[in-house]
Amino acid sequence: MEREEIFSKLNEIFEDVLDLEEGANLTDSTTANDIEEWDSLSHIQLIVAIEKAFKIKFTSLEIMKWANVGEMVDSMESKLN
Amino acid sequence: MIVNSLQFFLFFVVVFTIYYLPIYRNTPKFQNLWLFLTSYFFYGFADWRMAPLLLGATIAFYFIGLWLKSEMEKGQTKNASMITTLGVVLGVGVLVYFKYMNFFADSFAQLLKAIGLNVSWTTLNIVLPIGVSFFTFKLISYIIEVHREHIQPSKDFIEFGTYVAFFPTILSGPIDRPNKFIPQLQGVRQFNYDMAADGCRQVLWGMFTKMCIADNLAPFTDRVWANIDGYSSATLILTSFYYSVQLYADFDGYSNMAIGVAKILNLQVERNFNHPFLARNIAEYWRNWHISLTSWLTDYVFAPLNIAFRYMNNLGIILAIVINFVLIGLWHGADWTFAFFGLYHGLLYIPLILSGSFAKKKKLRPNKIGIPNMKDFSYMLVTFLLVSIGLILFRAESFPQAGEYLSSILKCNDMFNASMLEGKRYIWPVILILGLEWLQRDKQHALQFPSNKLFNCAAVRYLVYAVLVSALFIYAGEVQTFIYFQF
Repeated sequence: MEREEIFSKLNEIFEDVLDLEEGANLTDSTTANDIEEWDSLSHIQLIVAIEKAFKIKFTSLEIMKWANVGEMVDSMESKLN
Repeated sequence: MIVNSLQFFLFFVVVFTIYYLPIYRNTPKFQNLWLFLTSYFFYGFADWRMAPLLLGATIAFYFIGLWLKSEMEKGQTKNASMITTLGVVLGVGVLVYFKYMNFFADSFAQLLKAIGLNVSWTTLNIVLPIGVSFFTFKLISYIIEVHREHIQPSKDFIEFGTYVAFFPTILSGPIDRPNKFIPQLQGVRQFNYDMAADGCRQVLWGMFTKMCIADNLAPFTDRVWANIDGYSSATLILTSFYYSVQLYADFDGYSNMAIGVAKILNLQVERNFNHPFLARNIAEYWRNWHISLTSWLTDYVFAPLNIAFRYMNNLGIILAIVINFVLIGLWHGADWTFAFFGLYHGLLYIPLILSGSFAKKKKLRPNKIGIPNMKDFSYMLVTFLLVSIGLILFRAESFPQAGEYLSSILKCNDMFNASMLEGKRYIWPVILILGLEWLQRDKQHALQFPSNKLFNCAAVRYLVYAVLVSALFIYAGEVQTFIYFQF
């Protein structure tokens, strides 16, 4: 799956889970600090939604390592391709 | 050698003078070595028998960090996980051995007694090394952060050792994180006037709240706790509020002194408090109370548990929170009262989790005349009340004593008899402190003055300093050790 395709699907998941009206506009450098609705509680809901939508499973260590959306997409890419 | 003592002042003058000598222009090595040596002197002064333990643990974790990195570079992920586990077990092991062994032995003996077996081992007399709860947490976070690839392991032993033993924070925190502190040791620190001046103000404010507020409240609350039966219910309620403020003034005062001293050395350490009594629910309170401990547990206990339990929805979050808070309680000491103190707070989170609001951060919005609006204010009062009830468990030496305190309140003895209400004279200083918390809510400490006509006038600022310094001499209570030194 192409990186762009992952991003567009991710944007939809973020908008849906976080209830964002104006769009998530995710980039590689987006972090939880950039989106007010993205807190520790919704973070877990996001991970579960991503795992379901892409039919993948992350390890705890992978999740803990991410510093921004780009690193999360790196992990996803390595599982999807 | 406590921070608000003449001894510490003299020690610090020597540290400061040599720290900023212009011989270190190009390398931080000498500055770090000086901080390392003076930190061990400071720690040894508190308890020289325990300095080898601190040094030994530091050496062990230094090598574990390097070993972990070399396995990660070789792509040996399983080995890396095992080494991380070894580090965590070692850190927790040191903490458990020194802090909880007596407790386990006693609880086990009581359990055996309850089922009819009498054992007669003498209680293990393990001495609690001062600061052990703080430095083991620093060591554990170091190994986990290396494993999570958030930092590189330190190759310079003195630099790493200075992070672990840094004297302003070694006895009672704040618990610094390696990714924020170690990089600061990698450059030469020049004297920074603005930061040092802010540090001096923060130390002054810390001394004021510790010596004039906490140390004056302590003899009163101690007296009431020593003779619970002898006081009216209203006095007991007031005393529990006072104890909340006393604990805050004591630990926030200590933290301000530690942070301020570090600032004079041009080093930023973690913030520990962010106006916790303005919190409108328990989750907000814990985000702002002893922040360096709660954020540590959030990152290394709550978050991994929450991730592991992620398919259990709300139940998973509740489980993660309750485990997290029981551990926070037990961190304070090996006693069932602390475990229940933690459990109590964990249970208070449940309504917030079920309503989905526990992680939401809402800004405080004052009303037209600059005070909190009624809704916020009533939530603050309820939170303060819940916190004060929890602190009865925290302050009590045993369950029966906590029970006695609570039942004495419920008896309503002389509840509305104003002449039986004791401790009235502390009400105004307490209200003053809480009012200042509100006014300075956007600042790190009360002496970061707002930029307005009044405080832009140097004479006004110096008058404030003069009043506070005089208060230290006139109103300082009997010298009390810091409450958090026992943890």
